[in-house]
Amino acid sequence: MGKKLRIHSTLACDVLIIGAGGAGLRCAALLHERRPDLSIIAVTKVAHPQKSHTSTAQGGMAAVDPKDKVDKPIYHMFDTWKGGDCSSDQNVIKKIIEGGWEEVQWLEQKGIHFSRDEEGNIAKRQFGGHTLEFGKGDALRAVFVADRTGKGMMDTVWGEALKGGSLFLNSTVITELLFNQGCCVGAVLFKIKQGEFITVLAKATVLATGGSGQVFRITTNCRNNTGDGLAVILRAGLPVMDPEAVQFHPTGIVGPGILASEALRSEGGILRNRELEPFMERYAPKMKDLAPRDIVARAIETEIREGRGIMNPDHQIEHVWIDLRHLPDYVHEVKLKEVASFFKTYVNLDSRTQLCPVRPSNHYHMGGIPTNEHGEVQDAANRVVPGLFAVGECACASLHGFNRLGTNSLLELLVMGRYVGERVLSYLREKQVSGPKGAGEASLALFANYLEAQGRENLGMIRQEMREVMTRRVGVFRIEKGIEEAIASLIAFKQRTARIAISTKDMRMNQELLERWELDNLLDNAMTIAQAALMRKESRGAHFREDYPERSDEFQFHTLVSMTEFGKVSFGKRPIDMSIYESKGEHHEQFRVMPRRY
Amino acid sequence: MSKTYSLTLTIKRYDPERSVSWFQTYRLEAGPILRFVDLFRKINVELDATLAWASSCEHAQCGSCSVNINGRPMLACELLVENAVALFGVTEFKITPVSVAPVVRDLVVDWEKAYERVHRSKPYLIKPKKLPPGMTGFRISPAELSRYEEATRCINCFCCAEACISGNRNFIGPNAAMASIVRMMDPREEGKDERLNLLYSEEGIYRCHTSKACSHVCPKKIDVAHFLALAKEGAF
Ligand SMILES: Cc1cc2nc3c(=O)[nH]c(=O)nc-3n(C[C@H](O)[C@H](O)[C@H](O)COP(=O)(O)OP(=O)(O)OC[C@H]3O[C@@H](n4cnc5c(N)ncnc54)[C@H](O)[C@@H]3O)c2cc1C
Ligand code: SF4
Ligand code: SF4
Repeated sequence: MGKKLRIHSTLACDVLIIGAGGAGLRCAALLHERRPDLSIIAVTKVAHPQKSHTSTAQGGMAAVDPKDKVDKPIYHMFDTWKGGDCSSDQNVIKKIIEGGWEEVQWLEQKGIHFSRDEEGNIAKRQFGGHTLEFGKGDALRAVFVADRTGKGMMDTVWGEALKGGSLFLNSTVITELLFNQGCCVGAVLFKIKQGEFITVLAKATVLATGGSGQVFRITTNCRNNTGDGLAVILRAGLPVMDPEAVQFHPTGIVGPGILASEALRSEGGILRNRELEPFMERYAPKMKDLAPRDIVARAIETEIREGRGIMNPDHQIEHVWIDLRHLPDYVHEVKLKEVASFFKTYVNLDSRTQLCPVRPSNHYHMGGIPTNEHGEVQDAANRVVPGLFAVGECACASLHGFNRLGTNSLLELLVMGRYVGERVLSYLREKQVSGPKGAGEASLALFANYLEAQGRENLGMIRQEMREVMTRRVGVFRIEKGIEEAIASLIAFKQRTARIAISTKDMRMNQELLERWELDNLLDNAMTIAQAALMRKESRGAHFREDYPERSDEFQFHTLVSMTEFGKVSFGKRPIDMSIYESKGEHHEQFRVMPRRY
Repeated sequence: MSKTYSLTLTIKRYDPERSVSWFQTYRLEAGPILRFVDLFRKINVELDATLAWASSCEHAQCGSCSVNINGRPMLACELLVENAVALFGVTEFKITPVSVAPVVRDLVVDWEKAYERVHRSKPYLIKPKKLPPGMTGFRISPAELSRYEEATRCINCFCCAEACISGNRNFIGPNAAMASIVRMMDPREEGKDERLNLLYSEEGIYRCHTSKACSHVCPKKIDVAHFLALAKEGAF
């Protein structure tokens, strides 16, 4: 020991993009296209931008084709508004949906390999919640790259950022934002492989760090999604918005939580409990297994809680079955090839002859860093923080409200990535401020503490217990007593973290040190989710309170949560934008606050 | 309880502080459907927090967790205990980092170094074709796309490069070459001369011996050697 941590070097650039997934690199590509002279640094936690989580998105990206004779942007806007349980911002909905097809064309011209129809045009597929004429018919609205749409996008935006000359800092994390006179002027970064801290001064900083699914035990999200970006925002004294709005996909594969597409059920797959009863008949007599995502997720959780689930001995997780045995071979071999192969690969089961274990899996965080419709980050008083932008899953503008429709995230990454790039360009013309004093001291102190701590607590165990508590108490079902217990547990976990000793003292690729920091981030995220879930005494979209099962107009606002000390939160509100409704234009009445029934 | 396996994992370690490597043996009990990444996590939680290993998506879509298991390059996130036992016929596994990139610590390698080859291969349209006048999109028939679509599934896990018998010194490598071959076949690429220069250069495809080791190990089951063979014939 005794090695003193220090800032190794300082870099300067025009634009610092933190997070090189779909959103971050779309923004980088726009900047290179418009201003080839700009110096851009793109930071990614993973080993290379292509490894970012966007690469795993399967289904598709929604965008209304102006050549389509039956579909219209206004229908897509309605679906998004209704799907989000009337909690999205309508100015954002309008802006993003109107910009969708331009992105499809951009991708195509940059070389994405979209799947094609027989005439050679871009093919489209249907997705849940996307309708024509305000719910009357099903819309063919999602463009796709077979079952790897996200990978197609990621490869394209990464290629363009590389071609444009972005400087990539891979295996590097942000630990602190830098401010001077209220403006964001860059960030402190920790280079994991080298074990070095650096500061980067930038005229504009864009946060695009993605999701935070690792807060939950079972998740479709990658190992790196530990909510770092949100934790850094909280430590800067800024709020997060709607953290309680967490989406659970009904069918994650036990135990890794890997996504098993809804298509399984649309092809006739049946959910069964321990007694092999097709239980959805009891919960949704008409729609059964094809009821909306949140209803199916709650039904599965109820079966498990009432003792009709099955315990998986390897992963020690309870689940129900999905029965695909009765489906014709061609569904297994052709139509559902990829997903069926996941069961083979990850649980070694043949879906043609065996029952397959599934359970709700954390999937997406609708909430995040509050921004306006240009992606400019806002503080607790809804004022813009100059020089700081956020985009992608870590941000909340809010397009998705309290429940995201499938395929709308990829749409958001691209359109907002472009808009944020444009906004950054106009911001760069404004007055610049210099770097602050004492930059990085907070990060160095934090990491020094981690390295010096003594005790016998086990990092991995605390992480495991925290994720378990969040899944059980702040997951699909929430109730006052349970959330309060979760908050008490989180406080206890936080106290235990002080007694985690890190045995690897060398800073290079110090996985223990990184995971120790991640654990603090996870706890911060978990705490804001739990506190906001406790505060919101109603049910809205994916946030379901058993003690308050209805949506209430009293809570028709976005939650803002700030947390300067662990567990001590202060709440604020942001109004939900209703500008489409208020415009009194054609169809405006479809954008009122209405019940969410399908 | 379902059956468990008594496993012995012998893992090649490397400590950058002392620049030393050694083999360390871990013994653990594990259920049949745990993946090798789950085993590494189990080692961290129960036996040794210092073991460093790489992964991200953990379902074979990102290619971060490639390691050699009993000499075979594979994704640690895709291999289940019972399948590993069936595949190798043993319960002892020797795990070493891939050699296509320098080791940073234990099983973690510096992927950036490996990726330099892919970057040299320009994984983007060098000169994108302009849309024909009056057209709002390209027309690419499913048949045309299907000629090269398989190659676009590559996740750059470098398992093929690790297995390639041509070695990593003089040859740009199967996946990096394939990144250029795809764009030779893509009707939207107009920068084809530049690609030919690379593909037929000193580090280009003539280094390939058509042994098909690459196709054999590819976790995405891409017939990499097929694309290299097309390039050798100029059949883009
Ligand atoms: C299995 C799965 C399937 C999905 N399918 C679809 C779909 O079909 N359609 C759809 O619309 N949406 C889908 N989604 C959702 C969508 O894929 C994600 O919301 C989206 O890809 C997030 O993109 P992003 O650019 O915000 O973040 P990411 O792609 O996750 O990128 C985040 C970047 O930030 C970096 N980073 C993270 N932390 C730090 C840090 N501390 N410091 C520096 N860098 C950091 C990461 O390394 C990465 O480069 C799916 C999600 C999952 C998990
Ligand atoms: S076929 Fe060519 S590229 Fe593939 S392993 Fe053999 S030598 Fe290497
Ligand atoms: S071709 Fe296959 S083995 Fe080679 S890098 Fe791509 S996915 Fe991996």
